[in-house]
Amino acid sequence: MTVVSTATGLLAMLQEDHPTLKLHALKNLNVLVDNFWPEISTNISAIESLYEDEAFHERHLAALVASKVFYYLGELNDSLTYALGAGPLFDVSEDTEYVQTLVAKCVDEYILLSVKAAEANEAEKTVLDPRLVAIVERMLDKCMQDGKFQQAVGIALECRRLDKLEEAISRSENAPAMLSYCLRLSQTFVSRREFRHEVLRLLVKSYQALQQPDYLSICQCLMFLDEPAGVAAILDRLLRGDKNEALLAYQVAFDLFENEYQKFLLNVRDLLPEPAVSSAALNVTNGGLSQVGRNENGISAMTDGGPTAMDSDLTEPLLARHAAEEAADVSAASSAGQAEERTPHAERLTKLKGILSGETPISLTLQFLYSHNRSDLLILKTIKQSVEMRNSVCHSATIYSNALMHAGTTVDTFLRENLDWLKRATNWAKFSATAGLGVIHRGHHQQGRSLMAPYLPQNGGTGGGSPYSEGGALYALGLIHANHGEGIKQFLLESLRNTSNEVIQHGACLGLGLAALGTADEEIYEDVKNVLYTDSAVAGEAAGIAMGLLMVGTASDKAAEMLAYAHDTQHEKIIRGLALGIALVVYGREEEADTLIEQMTRDQDPILRYGGMYALAMAYRGTANNSAIRRLLHFAVSDVSDDVRRTAVLALGFVLCSEPEQTPRIVSLLSESYNAHVRYGAAMAVGISCAGSGSSEAISLLEPLTADAVDFVRQGALIAMAMVLLQTTEAREPRVASFRRQLEKIINDKHEETMSKMGAILAQGILDAGGRNVAIMLQSRTGHDRVTAVVGMAVFSQFWYWYPLIYFISLSFAPTAFIGLNEELRMPKFDFVSETKPSMFGYPPSVAPPAATSAVKVPTAVLSTSNRAKVRGAKRDAEAKAGKGAVSEGGATGSSTKAEASHASGDGTGDGEKESSSGAKDENAMDVEGGAEKKAAVVEASSEVLSNPARVVPAQEKFIKFREDSRYAPLKLKRAPSGFVMLRDMTPSEPVELVSTDTPVSGGAGGAAAPAAANPSAAAMAVDDNEPPPPEPFEYVP
Amino acid sequence: MTASPAAMGQDVEMKSADPVPVSALSQLKGVVTAIEKGVSTKEMRLMARANRLLLLVRRQLTVSVVNAFLKHALPAGSDALARLLPFAAAVEKSEKDMEVDTPPAAGQSHVSQKQSVLPEVEIFCYLLVTIFLIDQKQLEEAKTCSSAAVKRLQQLNRRTLDVLAARVYYYYSYSHELTDSLADIRGTLLALHQTATLRHDELGQETLLNLLLRNYLHYNLYDHAEKLRSKTQRSDSHSNQQLCRYLYYLGKIRTIQLEYTDAKECLLQAARKAPASARGFRIQCTKWAVIVRLLLGEIPERTTFMQPGMRKALRPYFELTNAVRIGDLELFRSVAEKNSSVFTADKSHNLIVRLRHNVIRTGLRNISIAYSRISLADVASKLHLDSATPVDDAESIVTKAIRDGGIDANVDHSKGWMQSKETGDIYSTQEPQQAFHSRIAFCLNTHNEAVKALRFPPDAHKKELESAEKRRERQQQEQELAKHIAEEDDDEF
Repeated sequence: MTVVSTATGLLAMLQEDHPTLKLHALKNLNVLVDNFWPEISTNISAIESLYEDEAFHERHLAALVASKVFYYLGELNDSLTYALGAGPLFDVSEDTEYVQTLVAKCVDEYILLSVKAAEANEAEKTVLDPRLVAIVERMLDKCMQDGKFQQAVGIALECRRLDKLEEAISRSENAPAMLSYCLRLSQTFVSRREFRHEVLRLLVKSYQALQQPDYLSICQCLMFLDEPAGVAAILDRLLRGDKNEALLAYQVAFDLFENEYQKFLLNVRDLLPEPAVSSAALNVTNGGLSQVGRNENGISAMTDGGPTAMDSDLTEPLLARHAAEEAADVSAASSAGQAEERTPHAERLTKLKGILSGETPISLTLQFLYSHNRSDLLILKTIKQSVEMRNSVCHSATIYSNALMHAGTTVDTFLRENLDWLKRATNWAKFSATAGLGVIHRGHHQQGRSLMAPYLPQNGGTGGGSPYSEGGALYALGLIHANHGEGIKQFLLESLRNTSNEVIQHGACLGLGLAALGTADEEIYEDVKNVLYTDSAVAGEAAGIAMGLLMVGTASDKAAEMLAYAHDTQHEKIIRGLALGIALVVYGREEEADTLIEQMTRDQDPILRYGGMYALAMAYRGTANNSAIRRLLHFAVSDVSDDVRRTAVLALGFVLCSEPEQTPRIVSLLSESYNAHVRYGAAMAVGISCAGSGSSEAISLLEPLTADAVDFVRQGALIAMAMVLLQTTEAREPRVASFRRQLEKIINDKHEETMSKMGAILAQGILDAGGRNVAIMLQSRTGHDRVTAVVGMAVFSQFWYWYPLIYFISLSFAPTAFIGLNEELRMPKFDFVSETKPSMFGYPPSVAPPAATSAVKVPTAVLSTSNRAKVRGAKRDAEAKAGKGAVSEGGATGSSTKAEASHASGDGTGDGEKESSSGAKDENAMDVEGGAEKKAAVVEASSEVLSNPARVVPAQEKFIKFREDSRYAPLKLKRAPSGFVMLRDMTPSEPVELVSTDTPVSGGAGGAAAPAAANPSAAAMAVDDNEPPPPEPFEYVP
Repeated sequence: MTASPAAMGQDVEMKSADPVPVSALSQLKGVVTAIEKGVSTKEMRLMARANRLLLLVRRQLTVSVVNAFLKHALPAGSDALARLLPFAAAVEKSEKDMEVDTPPAAGQSHVSQKQSVLPEVEIFCYLLVTIFLIDQKQLEEAKTCSSAAVKRLQQLNRRTLDVLAARVYYYYSYSHELTDSLADIRGTLLALHQTATLRHDELGQETLLNLLLRNYLHYNLYDHAEKLRSKTQRSDSHSNQQLCRYLYYLGKIRTIQLEYTDAKECLLQAARKAPASARGFRIQCTKWAVIVRLLLGEIPERTTFMQPGMRKALRPYFELTNAVRIGDLELFRSVAEKNSSVFTADKSHNLIVRLRHNVIRTGLRNISIAYSRISLADVASKLHLDSATPVDDAESIVTKAIRDGGIDANVDHSKGWMQSKETGDIYSTQEPQQAFHSRIAFCLNTHNEAVKALRFPPDAHKKELESAEKRRERQQQEQELAKHIAEEDDDEF
């Protein structure tokens, strides 16, 4: 073997005249280049000139050698140019590092160029090098041949080659999997909205080309594309099909509903054909409520039994009235329904419309939240006792906290019990106290209006009520009907027109904004604008926000109008309202909003810059867009105004809400900023994006901030921590317990500053929100952002300036429920298993009442007439109350009303026996749960049986298993087992056993007279006036 | 040999060998835990520590320890184990030849239960065996083993491997150097270097570049080495050892290329940065530095040659320096001849030849300092110029020295003498200032590097945050103090 020790000779040969010599040299150099490139690189110019020499017939070889030398020199760009020049000699399939590197470089280059080309204007489009394209295409083909379709899809998406994308999808063996992969990529990876739409359109096309189209995904895509007609057509087609297809249609509708895109849903509904018989609607949509009469009787009976005679005096008549009304409704409707002939299609259509309009899901949710309410009133009681009466901030914070704890459960026991205490709320505090009812009764569409009736402005006169409670009531109506305000819009609008009081205008504007969220209703917009133009600070602020709420995501030219007025007006409050409004208008528009954002962020007025931050947050919500993050970080450290900086950091939370694991890392430095506002923003950003995740980095970041030197930073950190720890149990994160203790300590501490005290009280409310059955979800299960939730969170974060806006956080609450429905849209009895320890995802243990004050205990137990959790807690404490506990439990389980009558203390022990032998037996969810709890003391069960409807926390979803032998099976197995799930009946011939439901009652009206109760007797009188006596208890035979 | 003595021997062996191998083995196990932890936390520091620990254990390695460790760390039936065990067996065999018996069953009992093993641990095993083989002078085996390790490394692409890989490369090259087959692996090293560059494995890049330079310099291919060095991109150095080596090689290259000033800087820095324990390396550096300084016309201080542990090795250079200092050509010639074998071994012979000129110049300088005027013929005789035309030679030497700035003088050609100029006061020039400046710059530079090299544990500052209670207490105290002061103020009036 001759070892060549130098390439000098060959290099010298390159200078020769004869082409044969040159060729010989080149050929040898090509072989030797790997070892002698340092030498050859000194003569690279000679090789380059050979390549440029047109007369030289082996130019390709020269290019190849040059390319290799440049590659070794690390000049990949030059290397690529020469490799392309080498033409056929550059062998893509060669398995060397050189080729691999260059091909990777090639693809990178191509992606860069094609993205640039796609984003450039038509005029300045450059033609891509065809050789480059050829290599990339060759690679793509090779990818597909090797069966690496995911890679192919990824590259095609990056290169914006829709044709290749389509090819990759169609050539893969598992097209559905590839499509769902692609869908996920398009949501997370494609950063440009327009291109994403193109991809989605392609996906819809491909989905439809499949033999068994995945209608769930198609409809999701169509929703992103905002094409209601397509969805309507699909739904209609499905409804005409067999039973399973109808089920699928319902499932699609429920999934669409989860994204809370009101305008789109309404459009779909309107595009569906009218059902032949319209009168059937009421019957069917109220299907779930058909047992209302019986249950309410049960509840009222229980209320009777309880020692709160005074309260039941107030509520009973009201209860009864509604029960009667319902019963009448139902019977009338059902008789009408029976009388007329209905086609199955029409029936289905009405059901579907019920889902799309939100009636069915909302009433089901309401039922769930009411029946599963496990809020702990003792917590509130402790807060109430420890907070100084005269401190109005903490006083109203307690009211806020109560509202959040009971959001959507319709349980307002706490307010009713503490009327005198409540009366201390005056002026704006009264406004928010009244509005709090709206949060508690959220979704209570049927009775919302009558609930709030005592406080609403009376037609034709100012009435006796204070404008604060009237305004609050209008706001409350908006909260009840948030995002589903078709029925209430008109009333709110009239209220707005009929008043010139700015407080009432304030409430009405907020209410209208909420009820007509995102509908872009011109009429309402004009009226709200008129309010704005009165240039009253209080009303104008609400009007600004309301305009934004109305126009959410439309990016219409109204934004410019609002901006112009914001420049005109002198009132900071109005400017702030408008700034937020403008931000809401550009919701989700990404690049489209950039001009407006630029305009706002360059404004001289810090409030408008502040709005610009919100605009960035809204436009790029959940996209984790790099440019948005960069801009926000820039403002977070460079703006002169503290408000802008705070908001810039906070906005990061919105932009990153799809990637919560990133946020703590990105804001970790900011959380150590010297500027307290920036620290506050960092805390909130983590809270918003990591809400409900229980992520340990987030907690580690927030922990030091909860002991910050500045009071408002502590406030923000406490609230953020509560958001992060929402529905996290001690078993999953031991720091939950210490956080609860910390909250308690802060609330009880006399020396603590008011700001952080308020933060702690609110944090308690958020931590136990919605009877502990809700989580903050800014994104739906399909990965799409929930408009209402994001908007709610954004307006909530404004509470810094205006406390009543705290209630907006309730919009981002989503019930963590599994609700299985059959084709009648009713809940059949059905069990499934959660294969994990019950304590992993259970409710937090109820607070033990302080031992010394035994007097306190009695009312605690009494409170639980509608609250089984409390009962169980009480039962453990005092055996004497066991009988009572059993009564209420029996009432709740409601297996039959007969049981109720025969309930004695003996039954309680029977119950106990059942519990001990349970676990395998699927008696009832609560029973089993009780059994599990008992076992926990000894050895905790490794799984638990849940029954429909059940609380399923998001983190728990992956542990949910359906039984093989179960009568019902979910329609789509791949779908996450939570939310509304359509069930397939395996044995349709057998009689259907339905879950009996507790329906919330309108007990609030009487009790809630309190906040308005400058004259409680008058309110009580009003209640007494028109109440018929309650019907006798009767037996329900299904 | 009968059975019973053998058994006895084994027993005795086991008893006597027990304490040491067990500790070595447990240390090795500790290393594996460190590696596993380092991989899981992606902490390079732990991997480097593993390397250091290995060096500590190195002296205690025996066949039984290596065998036991391999069986502990690698899953039974794995490729690596099958490949590595024979190496250990080979050593065992040769040891047996030397009548050193080892317990054959050592480690058999506890065969590892692990199913899969981290590539880092596997590479570590390769490294261990290679080092062990080199220590046992089984060079051919070491070569094969390290080649196998490198082959395995080429299949892996993990950044956590970088630290270990760099070690493996080093021993790969070292084992080839010992068997004098460095030229064979140049291609492989170049390929590895390129791979390291592409993967941003900076430590590997550094190590491999040094190995390549060493490889070229071993064959006196200074030109190649320089070309490679100048064509590769270098980032900030990660390892002090590699930086020292790089500077040393660079200094050598620069010396050959007549860039003495740069070369001196490089060599001195390399000698300074080298750890005190690396005596051989520092001796080499000093040797070259001495030559370069002589070539620059400087005379190294006497202390340079009197450093502890180096005196003997530096003796020839000391004599050489003495010859140059005096400017005595005769002495120089005799020293060079006497020590020519040393110089050839150090590959510095060609430089010594270059020194002759310097000897002459130093002599000339001495003459110019001693005499304000001297005839060229005297110069020639004082310099022992024994050519045919000494005066002409002397004339040309003197003029050249004047032009180079070596001496400050004039030549009167017609009268045939050299006239020295008066030396001015050196303290009136900027010379001292510059000398100070260079020293200060050096100190500042050292300080900055030391600061840069400091490591802070992450989030240490957070522990110092005061708790809410402490803060409240402090604030209360401050308030009380303020009140107190205010009261005192009031009292005064």
